[in-house]
Amino acid sequence: MFKINISSTIVLFKYLRKSLFLNLFNTIISLLMIVLLSAAFFYTFEWLIFKANWKVVISNLPLYAFGSFPPNEQWRPATWIISLLSLSILTLYGPEWKWLRKNLLIVWIGTIPLGLYLLYGGLGLSPIMSRHWGGLTLTILLTVCSSLLSLPFGIVLALCRQSSLPLIQKLTSIYIDVMRAIPLIAVLFFGQLLIPLFLPVEIEIDRVWRAIFAFTLFVSAYIAEDIRGGLQSIPKTQIEAANSLGLNQYQIIQFILIPQALRIALPALTNQSIGLFQNTSLMAILGLVELLGIGRSILANPEFIGQYIEVYVWLACVYWMVCTIIAVLARHLEQRMTINQANF
Amino acid sequence: MEPIVVAKNLTKSYTKGLRALDDVSLTVNQGKVLVVMGPSGSGKSTLIRTFNGIETFDKGELNILGIKVDSTHDERKIRKIRKRVGMVFQQFNLFPHLSILENVTLAPIHVQKRRQIEAEEYGMYLLSQMGIDSHAKKYPSQLSGGEQQRVAIARALALKPELLLFDEPTSALDPERINEVLDAMRRLAEQGMTMVVVTHEIGFAKDVSDQVLFMDSGKVIETSPPNIFFSNARHERSRKFLNQLEKN
Repeated sequence: MFKINISSTIVLFKYLRKSLFLNLFNTIISLLMIVLLSAAFFYTFEWLIFKANWKVVISNLPLYAFGSFPPNEQWRPATWIISLLSLSILTLYGPEWKWLRKNLLIVWIGTIPLGLYLLYGGLGLSPIMSRHWGGLTLTILLTVCSSLLSLPFGIVLALCRQSSLPLIQKLTSIYIDVMRAIPLIAVLFFGQLLIPLFLPVEIEIDRVWRAIFAFTLFVSAYIAEDIRGGLQSIPKTQIEAANSLGLNQYQIIQFILIPQALRIALPALTNQSIGLFQNTSLMAILGLVELLGIGRSILANPEFIGQYIEVYVWLACVYWMVCTIIAVLARHLEQRMTINQANF
Repeated sequence: MEPIVVAKNLTKSYTKGLRALDDVSLTVNQGKVLVVMGPSGSGKSTLIRTFNGIETFDKGELNILGIKVDSTHDERKIRKIRKRVGMVFQQFNLFPHLSILENVTLAPIHVQKRRQIEAEEYGMYLLSQMGIDSHAKKYPSQLSGGEQQRVAIARALALKPELLLFDEPTSALDPERINEVLDAMRRLAEQGMTMVVVTHEIGFAKDVSDQVLFMDSGKVIETSPPNIFFSNARHERSRKFLNQLEKN
């Protein structure tokens, strides 16, 4: 045991010497980097552990998670977030039972009505207005609902862009190009300020849904392009084979083109959903108290004034964690889809 | 004897005046096997692909299983034809995202609206006929070329077609895999299936075909029974082609 340690230490030293201290120039650079890195580490940890005042985070944890949701009802969003988390863990590390794996997708889609029910209330739960929603709960809700709506809309746009009818094809091209030429914040402004002007007075869509619609309009244009890329990389011979089996146009789209295009576009779609998750923070500017918004309103509290570094470091960690979970889930999905079906 | 395929003066030209099909006429009767041979670019693939409407033509008339198609390419008639005609491609063209059994049952379930259990039962029967029922749960990329092509044949048979079209079914296969596919085709011919086969396999053409049609630059050069075509071809062009083929 001891011997092995010594010999492996010697190997390590030899390796370090060879790679870091081979000649004078290398040695100087290496030493300089070591000094710089240790200083950076030292000051970071010194700040994190001794200087930072984490009270602004710790005493406000429920606010970050749920916003101004009534305290005695906060178990509702908590249940939703915990069910999402445990479903993620189940998906990633759960047992390989067939019936479980078959129904996971349905369960995932089912979390959305569950979340909306828990947040809105009704049917036995006391109703809560959407202006009380906030924090991480609202951020996740915006992301999940927008991506679920923009996927089918994006698919339809991608198909229309490939349509043989010139009018439909042109119109979708224009829509996609316009959406990609406008900054997201402008689309969100449009959603918050202009949609109410266009609708008759009796119809009122609340702000959360206006934000979701605006995100959907924007993201679906990008998703459409990702899926179009997938559609174009499917060989023509697939359509010929499907045609020769007597399948009609819609059946070919449904059974041959969409499943293959989605699989090819999956990495790009993951990018879109991570981007969407981060972009929901723009709603802080437009008055929704989602994760970033709640951070800003906590900072406006005189008790915590000036502690913005702590708050933003904390928020960065939360965003990072959720994005990592999304990325890991997407990679898992990708592996599962390619396990038996290496490219043709 | 009922004619299954009747082609009259089929002509198809590309933009530069190049003729893919030049006044092609032929007849295939029920239960007969027609082998189409010719150098590459002679239009034999184009010809066979007009039979189920994957390829259009400019002039002439086609009668498949009593359904008449002309150059207007009536979509409804062509769908009717496709439901009764199976096709096997050079590159197999299996659906990579579907399992072997799903590849075979897709059309019966969604085109013929058969019940899933029934379609799967028949699909498994076809796969066992092709000797690949043990791979039913696998995906196309997990199979060898010969196995994939046999799946493609089973897929084409799933709609119980009255005519099978083969477009160079063995050209993309390793030499040692060719026979397993040809044997499957032989068995189909013995069962009385009407087939049109584009191939370079002389042995198969000699044993199985009733007629050999030789094409060059879109024209039919000659149509002869195989014993005449391979021993004493009528045309200089055919003899040249056969010499070339035997050299390789």
